[in-house]
Amino acid sequence: MRKLALLALIVTAACSSESGPPLVISDLEITRPMPGASMSAGYFLLENRSAEAITITRVDSPQFGRVEVHETILENDVSKMRRLDALTIPANGSVRLERGGKHLMLMRPADDVSSVELGFFTSEGLVLSTSTRVAER
Amino acid sequence: MSTNRFLLLAVAVVLGLGVGLYTLQGAPDAPPAVKTATLLPAPLDIPDFSLLDQDANPVGRTFFEGQWDLVFFGFTHCPDICPTTLQTLSVARRMLVEDGFENPPRIVLVSVDPARDTPDKVKTYVEYFGEDVAGLTGAEDALRELTDGLGIFFQREQTDAENYNVDHSAVVLVLNPAGQFTALFSAPHRPDTFVNDLPGIFAL
Repeated sequence: MRKLALLALIVTAACSSESGPPLVISDLEITRPMPGASMSAGYFLLENRSAEAITITRVDSPQFGRVEVHETILENDVSKMRRLDALTIPANGSVRLERGGKHLMLMRPADDVSSVELGFFTSEGLVLSTSTRVAER
Repeated sequence: MSTNRFLLLAVAVVLGLGVGLYTLQGAPDAPPAVKTATLLPAPLDIPDFSLLDQDANPVGRTFFEGQWDLVFFGFTHCPDICPTTLQTLSVARRMLVEDGFENPPRIVLVSVDPARDTPDKVKTYVEYFGEDVAGLTGAEDALRELTDGLGIFFQREQTDAENYNVDHSAVVLVLNPAGQFTALFSAPHRPDTFVNDLPGIFAL
């Protein structure tokens, strides 16, 4: 019986230490660069499953020369787009990047952007890497 | 009550019900009420202007005559709201065509980024959104002749960054076949609001 209890304790400890990554991405969509333009947009949901806020300070992609987080703001029927220096996902919360709101702006595309890889960094380093096929608009 | 009088009364009741229903529901072909768009009290003449279309042809006020137009002010380096809005208008137009609408509106992008948007670039861009989408561009002074008269705002971001942004009005203007400003839709835009409101605007 004591052995069984010990085994249960070990299994529980193993499960909690492997409870999955703190940052999870879903609904990822990277749009194809518009004809004549040299940029794409990225939309997704980022979920923070940890008990501490996570602040993304940099996003990289080998398929683009530069990636920034931007926000489209509508004020009195005027559209303004502003670059965000960081993107904070609250503890046990989420942030959605969507059309007409926060979004990734991917500039200077490579010749082939049919598939795009993304790396998300905090000040401490890479926290999430993912990839997707590029979507038609 | 004789049989004839009874029949007459029955016919009158049925007719009355029919007229009542017709009045309540409107004529079968009557367009739905305009719910989202803002209608101008009277169509407004637009100022004359001198810009280039996507084939680099010089155009002025008469460019907007002869068809209904949905006019959006944006730029080709805008990654989010501009393609999203043009896509919305394109979807709305297709839905109107599928509904049997005989004269669907033309979609017009007026560039507010004359420094980067050459007619060639505008042409490549607008063609992506399907048939009957046109684009205008030109010198900034000439552009302001049009935008000032329509109450459209645009301002280039003061930065040396390679990918500067342009703040701009996000409304969609409706111009009638006489080339007059008739109504406007405020952002954010959805295809169903255009599909609902445009038939009523076109019937005015």
